[in-house]
Amino acid sequence: MQEQLQSIISQAEAAVAEVSELSALDELRVQYLGKKGELTAMMKTLGQLSPEERPKAGQVINEAKQAVQGLLNAKKKQLDDAKLAKKLAEESIDVTLPGRDTDLGSLHPVTRTLYRIETLFSNAGFDVEQGPEIEDDWHNFEALNIPETHPARAMHDTFYINENTVLRTHTSGVQIRTMENKKPPLRVIAPGRVYRCDSDQTHTPMFHQVEGLIIEKNASFAQLRALLIEFLRKFFEDENLKTRFRPSYFPFTEPSAEVDIATDLFGDGRWIEVLGCGMVHPNVLKNVGIDPDEYTGLAFGLGVERLAMLRYNVKDLRQFFENDLRFLQQFK
Amino acid sequence: MKFSENWLREWVSPEWDSNTLAEELSLAGLEVDGIDPVAGDFTNVVVGHVLSVERHPDADKLNVTQVDVGDGEPVQIVCGAKNVVAGMKACCAKVGAVLPGDFKIKKAKLRGVASHGMLCGATEIGLPDDGVDGLHVLPEDAPIGMDLREYLDLNDTSVDVDLTPNRADCFSVLGIARDVYAISGAEFTQPFKDKEMAGSEPCAQKIDVQEAQACPKYLGCVVTNYDKTAQTPAWMVQKLQRSGLRSIDLVVDITNYVLLELGQPMHAFDMDKLQGAVQVRMAQAGEKLVTLDEKELTLEENTLVIADESGAIALAGIMGGLSTSVTDATDKIFFECAHFARLAITGKARQYGLHTDSSMRFERGVDPLLPERALNRALQLFTEIAGGDISAFDAVVSEENMPKPATIALRRETIASRLGVAVADNQVEKIFNDLGFAITANDAGWDITAPSFRFDMAIEMDLIEEIGRVYGYNNLPETPVEAPMTLNELDESEQSLNVLKNALVQKGYNEVVTYSFVAENQQKAIAPELPYVLLQNPISEDMKAMRTTLFPGLLNSIAYNQNRQQSRVRLFEAGLVFYKNDNDASGTGATQVPMLGGAIVGPASNAGWDNVNRNVDFYDLKGDVEALLAMSHQTGKVRFEAFQNPALHPGQAASLMKDGEEVGVMGQLHPQLVKTMGVSGTVFMFQIRQDALMTMDVPAAQPISKFPETQRDLAFVMEDATPVQKLVDAIQSVDSDIMQGIEIFDIYRGQGIEEHQKSVAVALRIQHPERTLQDEEVDSLVNEILAATKQAVNAELR
Repeated sequence: MQEQLQSIISQAEAAVAEVSELSALDELRVQYLGKKGELTAMMKTLGQLSPEERPKAGQVINEAKQAVQGLLNAKKKQLDDAKLAKKLAEESIDVTLPGRDTDLGSLHPVTRTLYRIETLFSNAGFDVEQGPEIEDDWHNFEALNIPETHPARAMHDTFYINENTVLRTHTSGVQIRTMENKKPPLRVIAPGRVYRCDSDQTHTPMFHQVEGLIIEKNASFAQLRALLIEFLRKFFEDENLKTRFRPSYFPFTEPSAEVDIATDLFGDGRWIEVLGCGMVHPNVLKNVGIDPDEYTGLAFGLGVERLAMLRYNVKDLRQFFENDLRFLQQFK
Repeated sequence: MKFSENWLREWVSPEWDSNTLAEELSLAGLEVDGIDPVAGDFTNVVVGHVLSVERHPDADKLNVTQVDVGDGEPVQIVCGAKNVVAGMKACCAKVGAVLPGDFKIKKAKLRGVASHGMLCGATEIGLPDDGVDGLHVLPEDAPIGMDLREYLDLNDTSVDVDLTPNRADCFSVLGIARDVYAISGAEFTQPFKDKEMAGSEPCAQKIDVQEAQACPKYLGCVVTNYDKTAQTPAWMVQKLQRSGLRSIDLVVDITNYVLLELGQPMHAFDMDKLQGAVQVRMAQAGEKLVTLDEKELTLEENTLVIADESGAIALAGIMGGLSTSVTDATDKIFFECAHFARLAITGKARQYGLHTDSSMRFERGVDPLLPERALNRALQLFTEIAGGDISAFDAVVSEENMPKPATIALRRETIASRLGVAVADNQVEKIFNDLGFAITANDAGWDITAPSFRFDMAIEMDLIEEIGRVYGYNNLPETPVEAPMTLNELDESEQSLNVLKNALVQKGYNEVVTYSFVAENQQKAIAPELPYVLLQNPISEDMKAMRTTLFPGLLNSIAYNQNRQQSRVRLFEAGLVFYKNDNDASGTGATQVPMLGGAIVGPASNAGWDNVNRNVDFYDLKGDVEALLAMSHQTGKVRFEAFQNPALHPGQAASLMKDGEEVGVMGQLHPQLVKTMGVSGTVFMFQIRQDALMTMDVPAAQPISKFPETQRDLAFVMEDATPVQKLVDAIQSVDSDIMQGIEIFDIYRGQGIEEHQKSVAVALRIQHPERTLQDEEVDSLVNEILAATKQAVNAELR
């Protein structure tokens, strides 16, 4: 029997080695270990043996079954591994191809600049106010101490809708609306679109301003200086930014100034005008019912495109309104 | 205001170079726009005397000249200029000279003939173009060998100052000089002596001022027996030129000179052409006047004119008339020097399309005390150059209408609180003394009277600005604002526009900013039903209508980019639209509504290798819009309904409805408008009122059920034309606290389903918050749903 078993094992060994499919392996399992398998059949012959011989013979057959089972298991693992390896190989992809829908759009540089300005000021406690763009004469001019006959009117290149209605030429009108509706002390900024009837290489008929206003008791020009110098240094992230205040004229502020900056970051250290500012003219305060002896105001107006051009190295103002994707996509 | 730097330096000459002068002027509030040298940068060019001119032996177009340059021996120079002649005086660059552009003059041979220098034309040495094709000709009396820069006073600049409207007092060399004196402390010297020029003969020209308020002062005198051949001297021509004015003739040049020197506009009439008295009156409607620049104007009644018996002869303070102008033949000149009130002149030049040096000054204001001095100065110059007899001055002055200088109280305390620094009393007093103000000290500070030329002074803050300006804005301290520390409001139920914009950016949209005014025809095509506002004075016809929709701007931007080879374009814009509405509460005649809009066209995906060649469709855009709604907690609150809109495809258009009100629209651009708007492909676009996206709910968390969720899938067959939304509404109308959600997972038309019908497969998620559900409960819910859907949309279970 020993020999017979050994022969079966040898045959099984040879047969398993030949197998390359799981199904064929299963057939071998049936052939040797199935209900009618060769080793199962050997087991059935045990009954013919004497009770003394039986245990020994049973053990020998079992060992043979285990040997064959071992052969089958080892082969199965080998075939499974090969199958998985094949599957993995088939599933491998080119990981260097671009992913789907990775397109990132962009915020317009003006928005980006406005956001920066708004963040700096709102962190310091300024509220952000909006106002209408079609504006009445009172809010755009009259209340700001610019009466009908004022020479500054001619300088504003105003778009008219009718005699008393204009496209706002500045966001300063929001100052008036805010002061009309809220009690001092006030700290607000008013960002938005403004319009001037002027179009050439350095002027677009629409652009953006941020108007700023502080109404406090005893606000001073020295405070205006501190605020704006700090703003400009923080905006441009340049602690060495040079600034200078030049006397200027706006009907709604007195004293009035324009502010120039100079930096090595751009403009070869030349002075570049970036904003206008001043102390709110007492007539303006009176116009909105604030006592100029009790409160003083500080106001400033920033040209957003100008700041954006300097900050982001934009050379041509008109690019802001052409909306060329090749330009916009640079502001992701 | 443009002026010659050297002219200014005759009055006051601080030890500043030109650039420092410009900087200091700017820092005093007189912003220097430009400072231009009057000649190019060159050296070693002298007055040369051309002694002889001979044809070059080997060149037709060249001459060989001998030129005396004051060095004893003449030098030989080969010259190609056509106008070179023996005897002329010309600008001669000697060997060693450096001309503009770093052009060095060396000994040379031209076609074999030695040349030791160069005879120059005007533009070759950076002088203003004299119009001569050839050498710049110097006067016969030019001293041979003299350095040209010295001879022509070329070490000078033209300074251009951009004056603010309040500084009308600086529209003259005198005015600038006063300020330079105050800021520099350099000595102030008037370069001429004021003289009384009036003669004793009565002025033969009568003056009749009928509008004393508009013209509180009118001076005149007559000059006769002068030298009609007298020419404007070179020094005057030069100063005028360097101050931006062309020389015309002696009389005009003198009035212009006084205008620049002192700031007083004047006018001269040919007295023999005047009929009767010179009147100052308002124009009659329709009255005609031909001005000096030969334009015929039809006057309006609001215009102040100078007139005689024949009619208007000048626009007061703006421009003279042609018929009475001084010519070569004039025997008697009537000089006018008047003060016109600012308001009488403001806007009038513009009304007639004019802008003159005179109107510019009168509109902003002229020193009312200046006419006497200016008339005397003009006559002094005139008689020095052309002689003549001067009559007595005839003066019509209305003292009650003359502007009075304001006396303003200045408080020491206000200076310190407004400027943020205490300025010493003596410094304050020095500043006002130097600026020509009269000061009287009192306990609180001073009473200060502005000089007649500083009519911009009205209130205390005006004086404080003067102190700040002269003290130096940049010398003021920087004092941070100090205020109580308070925390800002932080409204959690308010959505931020920036968050929504960033969401669109994440979805591949690029933000655009387009003009708020659009072409009328585009607006009419896109939104024919909406009334819009028109600009009276647009930049151009295609920027005339205030937009009522963001679509034209978005579509134009798509077209712009498609024309630049961009096939996949995704854009958005946030901004106001404007509906004409005469009854709007703002009183502006327009309802101004913040909108958010977007448009997409081209491939749905950017991954080109993926063989997904599908272009964007309605549902791509709708998904983006729904994402915005979800971010603002508006899912379900804003509903999409099929509707008709002239801009949109009739079968692919939805209105966004919130509480029965349309808050937005979306859909495919109407195929008929594709060409009109200049775009290509199928464009999908949306716009939503920002206020519909700006409110959120503050989350209030609900407990999560611990019990199992079951799902029931139901397939309904219903009319194809019925929107699925109605089916969903019917399902949701069933009042149930166990229905947790509905999901549409299949739409099917075709085999097995009758024509004009569709199958809609819906998954119901069902769960009880507190216990495990019994099958009967679920069945009961499903039955209720079936009844509801049957009734609402006649849907049958498939």
